[in-house]
Amino acid sequence: MRRIVQDPVLATALILVVLFIFLAIILPLIYTIRESASAEGLALFQRYLTESVYQRIILNTLAMGVMVATLGTLLGFIFAYVQVKVKAPFKRLLHFIALVPIISPPFALASALILLFGRNGMILRGIFGTRCFWGEGRSCNDIYGLDGLTIVLSLSLFTVAYLNLKGMMQALDPALEEAATDMGANKWHIFRTVTVPMLIPGIAGSFLLLFVEAIADLGNPLILGGDYEVLATRIYVSIIGLYDTKAAAVLSVILLLPSLTVYLVQRYWISRTSVISITGKPAGTPQQITHPFVRWSLVAIVLAVCFLIVLIYGTIFVGAFVRVIGVNNDFTLQNFDFVINGIGSEAMTDTTTLSAFATPIAGLLGMLIAFLVIRKTFPGRAALDFATMLGIAVPGTIFGIGYILAFNNPIELTLPGIGNITLLPKLTGGRAFLGGALAIVVVYIVRSVPAALRSGTALLSQIDPAIEDASISLGADNAYTFRKITLPLIRPAFLSGLIYAFARSMTTISAIVFLTTPQTKIMTAQILNEVENGRFGNAFAYCVILIGIVLVAIAILYLTVGSSSGAERTLEGGA
Amino acid sequence: MSNQHSLVLENISKAFTQRGGTLARVNAVDNVSLAIDKGEFITLLGPSGCGKTTTLRLIAGFETPTTGRLLLEGKDITQQPPNKRDMAMVFQSYALFPHMSVFENIAYGLHIRKLPRTVIQQKVEGVLDLIGLQGLGNRRPNQLSGGQQQRVALARCLVMEPRVLLFDEPLSNLDAKLRVQMRSEIHSLHKRLNITSVYVTHDQVEAMAMSDRIVVMNSGHIEQIGRPKDIYRRPISRFVAGFIGRANFIDTMAEAVNDDLVTVLLLGKTLTVTMMPTAKVGDKLTAVLRPEGLELRADATLKQVVISQAMYLGSEVEYIVSTGEETLIVIDNDPRASHIFNEGETVGIDFAAETVHLLSN
Repeated sequence: MRRIVQDPVLATALILVVLFIFLAIILPLIYTIRESASAEGLALFQRYLTESVYQRIILNTLAMGVMVATLGTLLGFIFAYVQVKVKAPFKRLLHFIALVPIISPPFALASALILLFGRNGMILRGIFGTRCFWGEGRSCNDIYGLDGLTIVLSLSLFTVAYLNLKGMMQALDPALEEAATDMGANKWHIFRTVTVPMLIPGIAGSFLLLFVEAIADLGNPLILGGDYEVLATRIYVSIIGLYDTKAAAVLSVILLLPSLTVYLVQRYWISRTSVISITGKPAGTPQQITHPFVRWSLVAIVLAVCFLIVLIYGTIFVGAFVRVIGVNNDFTLQNFDFVINGIGSEAMTDTTTLSAFATPIAGLLGMLIAFLVIRKTFPGRAALDFATMLGIAVPGTIFGIGYILAFNNPIELTLPGIGNITLLPKLTGGRAFLGGALAIVVVYIVRSVPAALRSGTALLSQIDPAIEDASISLGADNAYTFRKITLPLIRPAFLSGLIYAFARSMTTISAIVFLTTPQTKIMTAQILNEVENGRFGNAFAYCVILIGIVLVAIAILYLTVGSSSGAERTLEGGA
Repeated sequence: MSNQHSLVLENISKAFTQRGGTLARVNAVDNVSLAIDKGEFITLLGPSGCGKTTTLRLIAGFETPTTGRLLLEGKDITQQPPNKRDMAMVFQSYALFPHMSVFENIAYGLHIRKLPRTVIQQKVEGVLDLIGLQGLGNRRPNQLSGGQQQRVALARCLVMEPRVLLFDEPLSNLDAKLRVQMRSEIHSLHKRLNITSVYVTHDQVEAMAMSDRIVVMNSGHIEQIGRPKDIYRRPISRFVAGFIGRANFIDTMAEAVNDDLVTVLLLGKTLTVTMMPTAKVGDKLTAVLRPEGLELRADATLKQVVISQAMYLGSEVEYIVSTGEETLIVIDNDPRASHIFNEGETVGIDFAAETVHLLSN
């Protein structure tokens, strides 16, 4: 602690970081909880927990979370297993297709699925006629509801589980399996008794992560839910339809409970039960699965899912260039004209500008907090990490409400004799500071910092602290060391943090849907508008442009931040 | 007085709060006092966990002492941040900046001092010459061998011309042959440049080879300070004797005492040895006998021992022998001149009185 106080730059940085995290994450949560804890709110709690309508909504939410977490983790596992342990064709291509859902504008996947498999979908109706594939009568070929939601959310989220489990499988020491083979175990026995138990932390971790993401999702249930209502959509309706902040706050707290529980379990249980120790390069190469039936079944599943992803993104792309996909397939640029020259142009520039503002701040903030948490000792170090991670553990809609509650009025300090001093201007609603743009940028940052922080801490804890000690020993202060040594060394984490921040900001909907104002238009909110009005062509044009912007940004980030001066190569080489 | 000293540690202690459960505080460094002369090469030696590295980090400023003072050339630097201290440290893991060339690594500290480019160029080239890496300035650290990397790390410190050089087990990551070579290089560099040096190691041979004085540390405190020869010949405790070199410990008793001359019975011989501080008649003592001070001879008048193991190592023969009560190690340093005994043989054991060192129990 004394060391931090001694260095004014470090002390200032720490104070600013703590202040930001408090204002941007903790304060809105306090406001939400306070709103729900009023007498009126407590009455609502009682109603919501006893009335069957609301019990159903809560059960729906949890059921959706469990379904998505199960299917998404299973898909992620199969994809990872095929990549690491199975001889399969086009492995690199399959890997890239599995990464595609990382950039999924909200509603895009759901809309495409409706157009493909819905009641009047191109495949079921167009190719197979009107035959009823499942259900009957009104629910014939009904893609709406839990089944559709599970498919769409699993597809858009399984990449997280895939990357997570792939990393763990590659880090598994092949000597373990070789030892089991030497003792006479066959591959199925090894799979059951060695591979899976070693991966339990990864599997459980992915499951919990997907569960939290799924129950927090707003965009998909909004258009694909149908009668299947979940907490996030009910919160949305409470604010947008009824402007009932009390009800929204109470529902938010109910949604917060499972999210936070899962977050805490993950943080304190999973991290402690990890049995995988990464000691550098694996000693051998993993044994490949060659059993034809097992091999081809797994490959078939992967190919089918990849085909579905290609089909969905293809639909989005084609749909953007035709009048009404499936009905009038004439080529047109009208949709793009609407987006680029019409109402959409403002949303496009606003969203891109705000994301471009948030991205470097989120990236640097993530690296700075990682540096402080891993390298410096000060009281509340774990609390800072915990609070920062809440930015993603807490469902986005809850931040939306928290911001409305906390920042709809300026925060003022009354000094006797001098009058009122505005500490923080009104950030949300009508006549908000900068048209609400500041609040949106802050939310973008809050939602992106956790990922940057995680990759930063992971990389930094692998870098010998003596390297920074050496810099200090040669006369550099903390700020110089951070700039010249730490940041260049954790550049791979910085780069991935930046890419994540930009992609996340461009595609987020739940956290900002209550914060957009007539002065500040956000693309994702516009897409929702188009989808709700059935103008899929416009929506798809938005999506294509959005994906294009994200890809261009990734390319720019790679060329600028990613240009290697050997640091990454050295780190990867383990020297 | 303090002008003679480069670095002075006054009653330095460092307490750490133990991680997990109890909040018990443990003294990693316990009341350490030490005065290091200008130009002296001093080694902190001890087993892992003895506090030697913490002491070095306290000197460097990476840790702040809980109590005590630190003086550099008479000036109190206890609260001075590490980057303001006129010292430079060589790390076990080399800690070279992997994203910079050898030249940039060495110039790093000079840039912070804002020296002109031409001066930096000159100084870096000078020091590259000094450590025998001329022409390698454009290489990346990962293109160098371990020994070369550690030389760059040393050069990076030397170029700063610090008042004190700190070494944190700098040779532990090198293979045995290179370690011996680097040991003599550091030794001769120190003789040439005469920079005050504090060196941390757990390798007693390294400590003996390079140091003017050795500080033997054990569980946070200083066990003994002295020249290598004194520490080897007159260890103050069983711990020091056992840690520095190999030793046979034989229980004995003070038969007679005349001032600091103590008479004991040892391996069938009665002998009188100087002992400081002296003992009282009847005190139980431990005799320290270095393996190379013992000699095996086919002589029936001597105490007879059975050879349970004989290992021929080329430059020496190492025997494990049994007296019946004790098991002893005997090293014959000149196997060419003497007869080599076989396992199972019974022979006489002998030693010179001046090789015996007595410790009170």
